[in-house]
Amino acid sequence: MAATAAVAIHQFAECITCHAWSPDLSMIAFCPNNNEVHIYKFFTDKWEKLHVLSKHDQIVSGIDWSKSSNKIVSVSHDRNSYVWTQERADWVPTLVILKLNRAALCVQWSPKENKFAVGSGAKSVCICYYEQENNWWISKVIRKRHESSVTSLAWHPNNIYIATTSTDGKCRVFSTFIKGVDTRGSQSSTSTDSKFGEQIAQLDLSSTWSFGVKWSPSGKTLAFAGHNSMIYFIDEVETAPAAQNLALRDLPLRDVLFVSERTVIGVGFDCNPMIFVADETGLWSFVRFLDERKATPSTSKASQLSEALGKLYGQSKQGTSSDTVEPSKPRGGAHENCITCIVPLRKGSDGTTKRFSTSGLDGKIVVWDLENDVSIAK
Amino acid sequence: MASSAAYPDADENLEAIITRIEQKSRKIETLLKQLKPVEALKTALEGSPLKTRDERCKSANWIVVHRAMMAIRDVDAMFNSLDPEYYDILMKYLYRGLSTGDRPTCDQCLKIHEKLTEKAGLGCILRSLADTVNTV
Repeated sequence: MAATAAVAIHQFAECITCHAWSPDLSMIAFCPNNNEVHIYKFFTDKWEKLHVLSKHDQIVSGIDWSKSSNKIVSVSHDRNSYVWTQERADWVPTLVILKLNRAALCVQWSPKENKFAVGSGAKSVCICYYEQENNWWISKVIRKRHESSVTSLAWHPNNIYIATTSTDGKCRVFSTFIKGVDTRGSQSSTSTDSKFGEQIAQLDLSSTWSFGVKWSPSGKTLAFAGHNSMIYFIDEVETAPAAQNLALRDLPLRDVLFVSERTVIGVGFDCNPMIFVADETGLWSFVRFLDERKATPSTSKASQLSEALGKLYGQSKQGTSSDTVEPSKPRGGAHENCITCIVPLRKGSDGTTKRFSTSGLDGKIVVWDLENDVSIAK
Repeated sequence: MASSAAYPDADENLEAIITRIEQKSRKIETLLKQLKPVEALKTALEGSPLKTRDERCKSANWIVVHRAMMAIRDVDAMFNSLDPEYYDILMKYLYRGLSTGDRPTCDQCLKIHEKLTEKAGLGCILRSLADTVNTV
């Protein structure tokens, strides 16, 4: 049997609302369920806290770290957003006024990183972009259509389309074309001809809250989860949406991730990532849970004892300095509470994601490696 | 996949729904006389008026489902011949049954609920609780 898929587990806080990795994956930014963003760096054998970004007044609900420009964007229930740029050792915030009257709930850089999108409780999506002349971030709001809070966002690879899920149960796709920021006709086809805020599609599949929308790497397939323990896969979103609705046996999902065109990882209230795979005909099905939770019979009394001692030792050490967190080995299930966030890490040579991380209400960040997993390798 | 297959249109007129339920009711009585309780239950669940908000239609169909459900003696045998596509809708009717507070109905609903949860998982319960559009 292959080694376990969870390669690292770190207990960073009591609860984590969201997390993001630095471009070189050496640092992690997360919100420990308060108004701060903590940045940790991994030094040889342990994580150390480098920065605390405290500018927000309320819980930080979304963080994204841009890959090429090394900027962090954070959004909060305080209705504001900050773009953080690194200047020598410090992170300098720039306020982005979103013009919202309710909490901001999620944020995502566009693929080209010249825009970012914010979903909010004000039934709207803000598309923000930088205006060189004024040295200022502008927020354009898509106010129409959403009948309830926007729970998640996903950019299409074309940098124009954005998919949203909302607590009105629907999944929608909008155009975010902004003159002067995006260039018309640079991409093939008609996909870039639509105006800002124009609705491209509305998928009325879930009768209850929907969460965790994602595009496949090519942008051909869209997936999102419903709070009624369903996951939806949609092909041909722009022209003639063809949906597959998959009912889960277990608890609902909160977020999903395409690791390749034909493989999706779903995370949520079962505290254990689920693997979904599409066969040659494009038919999606649930394969299994990623985390093997069965008690390993090989574990001897002695190793259990040393493990317990290690835990005790780790805790006492942790007590003396709360800024360092000892890496701990997986024990039973990797997560002990609902997983709310899944982020891709390393990509393989074939463009598929081999590693990803998850965080949730138990305050842990778990790194998973699919290469250790024989059954997923094709 | 269980839901939305073969459910009647929301716009179907109420009289037509009632007529259809009456036909179902007669068919169920025949099936019960032939000692085919599972077939009767399937017939009762099929084409339930889920989209309509009309309580008269909902009640009429519940009476039919209740009749078939109470005739089930062997719950294990029932699940051997009941296809998974019926699970979600059956769960919804179990909760409707439990809400009546009637002792024999609740006894029967709980008995089926235990087996159904074993078979269909917690996801089935969540779908029945979360769905505010397709109600029974």
